[in-house]
Amino acid sequence: MAVTEAPASSVLAVDETAPAPARKWLRSLAIGLPAGLLVLIFGACFVLPLVAPIPKPTGGDVLSSSLPPFSPGHLLGTDPNGNDIFSRILYGGRSSLIVAISVNLLGLALGGSLGALSAHFGGAVDTIIMRVLDVFIAFPSLVLTLAVAQSLGPSQRNTIFALAFFSIPAFARISRAATLRLREQPFMVAAKLSGTSTWRILVRHIAPNIGPQLMTFAMLGMGIIMIIEGALSFLGLGIPPPAPSWGNMIAQGQLSLSATPLLVVWPSLALFLTVIGFNQLGEALRARWSGR
Amino acid sequence: MSDTLLQVEDLRVRFDQRGRRVYAVNGLSYRLRAGQMLAIVGESGSGKTVSSRALMGLLPPSATVTGSARIDGVELVGMPEPEMRRHRGADIAMIFQDPTRSLNPTMRIGAQITEAIRAHARVEKDAARARAMELLSLVRISDPQRRFYEYPHQLSGGMRQRVMIAIALASDPKLLIADEATTALDVTTQAQIMDLLGELRSRLGTAIILISHDLGLAASYADDVIVMYAGRAVEYAPTRTLFAKMRMPYTRALLDAIPRLERQSHARLPITPGQPPDLTALPPGCAFEPRCARATPQCRTSRPPFAQHEVGHWWACWNPCKDGEPV
Amino acid sequence: MLGSPSLRLVGKRLLMAVPIVLGVSILTFWVLNLIPGNAAQQLLGPEASPDQIQQLEEEMGLNRPQVVRYLDWLGGAVHGDLGTSLVSRQPVTDELGPRLAVSGEVVGLAFLISLGLAIPVSLLAARWPNRMLDRISMVVSTTGLSVANYVFALLLVLLFAVQLAWFPAIGYTPLSESVTGNLRSLALPAIAIAFPLFCFYTRFLRSDLVDQMQGEDYIMTARAKGIGPWQVLLRHAFRNSAFGLITIVGLNLSTLIGATVIIEQIFALPGIGQMLLQAINTRDFIVVQACVIVFAIITVLANLLADLLYAVLDPRIRYGSN
Repeated sequence: MAVTEAPASSVLAVDETAPAPARKWLRSLAIGLPAGLLVLIFGACFVLPLVAPIPKPTGGDVLSSSLPPFSPGHLLGTDPNGNDIFSRILYGGRSSLIVAISVNLLGLALGGSLGALSAHFGGAVDTIIMRVLDVFIAFPSLVLTLAVAQSLGPSQRNTIFALAFFSIPAFARISRAATLRLREQPFMVAAKLSGTSTWRILVRHIAPNIGPQLMTFAMLGMGIIMIIEGALSFLGLGIPPPAPSWGNMIAQGQLSLSATPLLVVWPSLALFLTVIGFNQLGEALRARWSGR
Repeated sequence: MSDTLLQVEDLRVRFDQRGRRVYAVNGLSYRLRAGQMLAIVGESGSGKTVSSRALMGLLPPSATVTGSARIDGVELVGMPEPEMRRHRGADIAMIFQDPTRSLNPTMRIGAQITEAIRAHARVEKDAARARAMELLSLVRISDPQRRFYEYPHQLSGGMRQRVMIAIALASDPKLLIADEATTALDVTTQAQIMDLLGELRSRLGTAIILISHDLGLAASYADDVIVMYAGRAVEYAPTRTLFAKMRMPYTRALLDAIPRLERQSHARLPITPGQPPDLTALPPGCAFEPRCARATPQCRTSRPPFAQHEVGHWWACWNPCKDGEPV
Repeated sequence: MLGSPSLRLVGKRLLMAVPIVLGVSILTFWVLNLIPGNAAQQLLGPEASPDQIQQLEEEMGLNRPQVVRYLDWLGGAVHGDLGTSLVSRQPVTDELGPRLAVSGEVVGLAFLISLGLAIPVSLLAARWPNRMLDRISMVVSTTGLSVANYVFALLLVLLFAVQLAWFPAIGYTPLSESVTGNLRSLALPAIAIAFPLFCFYTRFLRSDLVDQMQGEDYIMTARAKGIGPWQVLLRHAFRNSAFGLITIVGLNLSTLIGATVIIEQIFALPGIGQMLLQAINTRDFIVVQACVIVFAIITVLANLLADLLYAVLDPRIRYGSN
């Protein structure tokens, strides 16, 4: 017979939300909707230019510059250089997404393993790694990225390296905290006591358990990186024109903001939709993992 | 009866959450005299906590309360919140299970007590402070001058619960509900807190409802005992009568679950088999029937009425235990 | 108070801050030395002869080994001398003061606006969860967190400067010239920085308040005393949330520094962010180094201050918890 009593709060901590079927439906919608949006965006950026007659994003004709939206052959019109805006949005999104994915993969792989190793070994190793990361974190992130980007010269590859500089410490911290929590778990203690090799513990026990958390963080990280990459390009330190990126399109549009605000609106809208897609997917995944 | 303080009749509480309907309390009736100590005993989910919180209007919005509960003739069920607030603390006060969690960690002890004093009376700050010191002495906290300015984490568990009692007594309530008030404490402290409650009852005339899963605790301190199961009262008697002539097989099972010294040290505790009842779909018969050793086919099909079978002794069972008979 | 837990905490944190700032300065120095094409070349232009470049380098002390230059710089920095700008030939410290004041004012205003809105909105939302205001505030703050601040800034310019002409689109009016003019020139940049903060604080505060109101026993105790719902919310729930909020505000300051760079660029404000960007573009690495150090110190101090405030305000830390 159960004679233990739950704490008073749990007796009455009743979740005041929607009923079960509606909740379930809402939850799958919470994942499905942003995931669908992202599939659409990825498809448009990576597949559409291959299958549809989309004009080239650069080398436009000055004769057909600054055309209004829905001009023949130019869905969103053209910019002052005569380049097709829709095409620049797609190709710009392609390079922004490549940057964001690469940065997050680097952060996930390097930062994730750094944090896990740091927590797993503890002691001096942990202290040194964490102190070095503290320095990176105290470093104003965008400032560091600016300096690195400028010193390496603006290019897509350098933007990736520059942004990875500060995504690695963030991932490392998350993965370290997750690993530390894991260390107390009975199965971890058991694995250690039974003499399982460090490598095996890391690969078989730690990685699969902190994976979901890191993936969720990577989703939220995608949004953050997209915004910062845009900022770098906006300041002329990211992807160099004439190659399109949402950031440098916004910067270019700013020059004629009062006359042709749509030049700013289109890339801004694309950036917003992508970021909200990643953020919402990340939040929904987090809610699912935390079992709420 | 003229000295009735609290009259509960056919109290029902249900929760509508996540599309499920949970029937937590299903027609509870009892009467409490001024200064009486009544124990409500049952497992988790028996409805003992929910029914007492219903009296104070402290249930979440998903709860629907019906039936009647009158304190000094004033109906509490369905009372609008602003009016309910005037009764909370003033007429009915409550102390909770875990004194560590039920005091605000970021407020001084003194502030938490004076807040309760000034909730129901226009009292100057100094007067409230003096009253708080008085309350701290009343609940036997030594050095109240110092404790007044301390924070909860600086106090021991037992002291925190004393502070909770001081808060509860701030406006001289007629009824104090102690919801598992000693469960989180060690045995010695538990006894001290129970002795304090007993003393306050006789000094101040406060009626106490003791909510507990521990039948032994009820036996030692309460005048009367209600045993609850699946949101209903299943046995009700003066404490002495109950322990002399236990009728419900469920009450017997509760008693047997208490470890005792005279048992062999490695003897296994008798465990009542089966799960506590599913409160979303209660059976037509006796809710305890699936777990009951004395169950008959009748128990499955029709619910035994809760009735006064002997003088002052109520129960709800088709096959009650006889005197001295094992389960 | 000597030897009290909070005082010891301060000492410990201060000690930890020193190597972090040192590390940042070394890292900056090293990164800046990676820059291909040095400052002398930049200053003299592409036509300069190698002899001219070498002469200027010697003049500026650029030909000495990195370690020597770093130690030299560090010696000056400890005494408050952050070097002389390679471009303007002015002491960097002289220029930092007024620029910090501009950035400080924008960021201060942004904090005022964001907290001044987020606190009442969260309180109202938590008082009636899942009602109209709560839902609106959740949608706004969730959406707002996905809007890049430069995009939001341009939208502000488009609406309030171009369309309505309520505020100037760019430029800065010093406080000494005109108080209203100063506030008008800083309104849009401050709002641009404040909006994402508002979203962030509202989300945090609202959910923390609601969680407490629905789950904490001391809230139940407070309600059982018979005190009013606002008093429960303010005295009990908000009080506890405030500690978490302080930490978050402290941590935000470092992200804000990044934001000032871009916002000052958009609104042409003569702040430290603009100074840094200009220095990066002219490869004036003495100025870059100075700005980065100032940023790092501000970040570390802000975190320290947040820890301290937390320690002073939260009795569990102030008196040492078991």
